[in-house]
Order: sequence, then structure tokens, then C-alpha cells
Amino acid sequence: MGGLTKRYGALLALDDVGFDVPRGQIIGFLGPNGSGKTTTMRAIMRLVTLDAGDVTWDGAPVDAGVRQRFGYMPAERGMYPRMKLRDHLTYYGELSGLGTARARAAADRWLERLGLAGRADDTIQSLSSGNQQRVQLALALLNDPDLLVLDEPFSGLDPIAVEMLSDVLREQVDRGAALLLSSHQLDLVADVCSGVVIVDRGRVVLRGDVATLRAGSETRYVAVEFEQPVDWRPGPGSEVSAGGRRHRVTVATGADADRLIDEARALAPVVGYSFLPPDLSEVFLGAVGRDTLEDPDHERRVPT
Amino acid sequence: MSDERPADATGVVRLVARRELVERLRARSFAVATGLLVVIILAIGVIARLNSDEGDDALDVALAGDVPAGFEEATGQIAALFERTTTITPFDDADGARAAVEDGDADVAVAGDAGQVVFHEDVDQQVLALLQQAWANAQVQESLAGAGLDEQQVTDALTTTSLEAVTIDGDDGNDGLALLTGTLAGILLFISLQTFGTYVLTGVVEEKATAVVELLLVRARGSQMLAGKVIGIGTAALLQFALAIAAALASLAISDIEVPGEIWSALPLTLVWFLGGYALYSTLFALAGSLVSRQEDAQAAAMPIMSVLLLAYVMVFTFGSDPESTVSTVMSMLPPIAPLLMPMRMAAGAASVVEVAVALVLLALAILVAWAVTGRIYEQVLLRRGTRISWRDAASLIR
Repeated sequence: MGGLTKRYGALLALDDVGFDVPRGQIIGFLGPNGSGKTTTMRAIMRLVTLDAGDVTWDGAPVDAGVRQRFGYMPAERGMYPRMKLRDHLTYYGELSGLGTARARAAADRWLERLGLAGRADDTIQSLSSGNQQRVQLALALLNDPDLLVLDEPFSGLDPIAVEMLSDVLREQVDRGAALLLSSHQLDLVADVCSGVVIVDRGRVVLRGDVATLRAGSETRYVAVEFEQPVDWRPGPGSEVSAGGRRHRVTVATGADADRLIDEARALAPVVGYSFLPPDLSEVFLGAVGRDTLEDPDHERRVPT
Repeated sequence: MSDERPADATGVVRLVARRELVERLRARSFAVATGLLVVIILAIGVIARLNSDEGDDALDVALAGDVPAGFEEATGQIAALFERTTTITPFDDADGARAAVEDGDADVAVAGDAGQVVFHEDVDQQVLALLQQAWANAQVQESLAGAGLDEQQVTDALTTTSLEAVTIDGDDGNDGLALLTGTLAGILLFISLQTFGTYVLTGVVEEKATAVVELLLVRARGSQMLAGKVIGIGTAALLQFALAIAAALASLAISDIEVPGEIWSALPLTLVWFLGGYALYSTLFALAGSLVSRQEDAQAAAMPIMSVLLLAYVMVFTFGSDPESTVSTVMSMLPPIAPLLMPMRMAAGAASVVEVAVALVLLALAILVAWAVTGRIYEQVLLRRGTRISWRDAASLIR
């Protein structure tokens, strides 16, 4: 897709946004709150009318028929609270064009897979929020979609659920689906994704695979952990943890890290050390020239 | 690359409608309300029947003292003219006969010696006239026999022709009953339109409030969801309403009251008015629901619509006493009023075929307009969650 532009009054929510989501890959769509992720995903699902730009799938514009082959998990979770799990999934499966028998089979298959088979006849509102999120995921997966669009799928999940969700998502791309997921926590999902698109204020600021983006940064970090608290100030870009045992020094890409580590080892006994590129969020902050993910000078409105 | 069927419009509407219908039918409140409605309506008929059995048809007469020969026979004959049966119980003295009336064992006592007809509380003019006539006949018969006429001559002399009752404007049948039936139909229509309109209202708000609407909109168009919801809930509504009307017809049959022809035809036709009224009001209720995101705001958003419905309801009573007035005639043809007021006027026999036809055509047009307007606004506001959208803002979306 390319050239996606959307205005809400004076606010330019999307400014010429464009990227690809290939089959068999998980693309992380990252950016701070209010950066335009939800609007972009709604545009892919044809829920907002764009002022410019178009979304295509296999070279053809996304119409209602193509969209029927997509799976969607909206940022705002929503289900009928008083419907039973199986009925709800079956109903949505039928709306997705599966036909009653296949919709019911898909519902039971996903309830089983997500560990909710025993709750099939309970109502949605009787579930914990974590379990409701599983059902919400199942709704997106029922029709074995070609493209999965998941808006903040990891938000509110505990580590075990994150692990299970990651497994399910990998299965989906292994079967050949294309997958786009968004997150405002840039580093949380970096491991799951084969590529990322980072947006800020409605514009794409970075894109590529995570390792390349991090490696492409001009800075590196040398981290050293001492046995005892140590007063060590090797340069202007050095930070010390509260206990005084862990130190981190920011250096240029070509800097001599060995020299720094030798210096540290000469100073006091060292437990461990590392030489690493910056995290994705740090790459992002460097790219947009800010020190925080929050957007202080730009009052943005999230269209919900 | 897949064997999924393409999204076809009627299929989606049918799926949505089926879900709505199943949800309604599964709710215990629906079964309870329907059952209660039918039982109450049938009970009215049964009570009317019991009342008529006690009060009208059978007449118990306590008889004491000297009466003209043939009085008992004459009483039976005259009572038959009024379609009443009589039971005559002789007593030894007037006091015994009075006591029987006082105790409720007899409806009326005839004290021959005193020449009195004794009622318990109020004088029943029909019974009085009936006994008076029988008394006179028996006396004349006795006199004629005393004058030496033989039995045949007496009979000939007493044979009279009866007068036929006609009216100049034609017989309207039972005005009181027609009015009662029409008013009850109006009440039933109001209750049903209000109940099921509210179901549509809260159903739409629920979808917005829970945000499930975003999930649905990637599978169905707003207009399909609207149509499915209105049809699904409407099917449940029609089922309940038809049962109520069937119960009303059964109730009338049970009551054994003589029912004017207009009522037999007006009652089933109420179904048509219900359908039209529901199509109009439920669409508008859905529109009101689409403007808010919280159930707390639903009633406020639906206020204008509820007010009009209430106004129509009040008019059923306002014009109940005068269904043929010009104001009543005009009002009964206005689309938002017609579904409640016109059935009442039809039951009362006050509506002409032309008036009914005009009202139906106007109602159909109003439904089309309401549907077109709602269709324009509905899809645009479903994803606008948050504060309530004013009717003025909504109107600006029509364009």
C-alpha cells in the first residue's frame, strides 16, 4: 500500500504512509500512541475513507470480497457480552462466509487450540479479560486469513499469554499468512517480527528488519557490571546504575570497545560486559530527535 | 484461492436477523411477557362471559301472592323476546319472596297481593318492562276468558305483531364495545412498539458501547446490520403481537358478546398497522441509538422519537370519544400517529376506506424516507465513539 493520507479536520492523521506486508512474514507496525497506527489498520480494513492513497492485496484494490479473506483484531476489543463463546465464534465465522458447519468446526478448533474448550457454553462476560482477549484473537483467525491485521495484540497479556500468542502467530505465518501487528511498546515485539515499520506523527520514519536497523545506528553501548560499586567515568556518555555496579557507556560505531573493557578490568573485578547496538526505541528516538517516546509539542487526537 | 462464498447481501442480513431473533426468543423475559399478555387478554373474555352468564341471560323470579292465571307462561314468552330465560320460584308469602331477593337467590320478586315488583337495589328497567308486559297480558287473558271467549278466541285476541327496530344512520352495533376494543388495540400497539423499539435502540447502543461494531463492520455493511437487526427483532415482535391478536379474537369469541363486524376485521388488520409502525419507529430508534456510545445516553437520544410515540398514544384516548371529528380524521392519517390512532377509528367504524388507504400510503412513504436518512447517517457514525452526537450534527451528515 502507498500514499495513505487521512485528515481529521486540521489534523493530518496519516501523511503519505506506505509499506508492504509480504506473505510468511510478521511485520511490526510500531510507534508512540497517537502516531497513526490504528488509523492505518482501519484503512487496510476499509473502515476509514482515505483522502489519498490506496491499499492493494496481490496487486488488486481491497474490496469487500478481498477483505473477507482478512482477519482483524481491533484496538478496541469488542464482543457481545451475553453470547456464549461457541455461538459468538460460529456467528462471526458465518459472517466471514464459512457456512454454518465449517464455522462451527472452526469455532471448536480454535477454542480447543486456545485452551477454552471447557468454556464453550459460557458467556463472553463471564470470562477474565485475558480469556476474552483469546476469544478476540480466535475471531480474527476463524477464516484462516490471508492477511492478519492485529492492533496491539500483546497489550494487557501476561508473559505466558505473550508466549502462547507468539506461537500461534508463528504458526499463521508458517502456513503462509501475512501478518501485521501494531504496538506502542517498540522493544516488546521486536523479537517476534521479521520486519518493522515505525511511524511517528502520521509518517513512516524507519523501516526494515530489526537487526539491520539496530546495526545501522551510529552509536553502540558498552555495558560493564562490576562485583562492587565502582566510581568509573570513562567519558561524557557514561551512565551508572543506582547501585553503582552497572555502567553503560555510549560510544561511536567505530570506537575501540576493547580498550574500554580493558580499562574497566584494570580498575576492579568485572562480573560481565557487553557491546551492543541500541534498542529499537533508542534507534527511533535518534531518528526523530527526541529523548522520550511521548510527544510533548504536538497535541494529537486518537480517532476512536 | 479459497472456497469461501463471496459476501452476499441477503445472506448477511439473514445471519444478522437470525442472531437477533434467537437472542430475543432465548430471553426468558420474552416468553414471560408473551405468556402474560395472552393470559390477560383471554382472561378479559372469560370474565366478560361469566358476568353475562350471571347478569343478563338468566332471570330468577320469586313469586308470591295472587297473580293472574297464565302470568308464569306469559313471563317466559316475553322474556324469550329479550333473549332471556326465566326461572320462576313460588313462595308462600311476600316476605319470603323479598328475603330471596335480599339474599341474592332471586333477581326480582313479584308480590301479587301488593301489586309490587321488588328489586334488590336498582330498578332494572328491562326486567320491569318485561314483567309489566307479562302481567298485563295475563290480566287481559284472564279478563277475556271471564268475558266468555273460548281459548282460541283469547289466543287470537292476544296475538300481536312486534315492531322492528331500525336506525337512520345504520346500526353501528355496539359502540361501547367498539371503542373499548379500539382503545385496547391502541394500548397494545403502543406497548409493543415501545418495547421492541427499545430493544432495537439498546441493541444498537450495545454494539457501539462494546465496540463489537468495529468487528462487524469488516464483515457487513452498516445498512445490512441495520436491516438484519430491525427484521430479526421485528420477527420476534410480530410473533408476540400476532399471538396477542389471536388471543383477543379468541377472547371476544369466549365472551359471547355480540361483536360488530368492524371489530372482527379491524383486529387482524391491526397487524398491518403494527408492521408499518414498527418499520418506522424501529428505524428511527436505531438511528437514535447510533448517535450514542453509552446505554445511559440512549433514552436521552431517543427522547424525540419516544415523545411522538407517546403523543400518538394520548391521541387514542383524546379522540376515543369522537373518532369521526375532522381533527381526529386528519391526525389518523399522519404517518407517526396513524399506526395507533387509525386502528382505533377502524374498530369504531369511523374510518373510510379512502382514509385508510391514504394513511397507509403516507406511512409507506415515511418508512422509505426514514430508511434512506438512517442509511446515510448510520454507517458514518457507528465508529464515532465517545460523546453523544447531536441530532443537528447527524442531520448535517445526510447531504
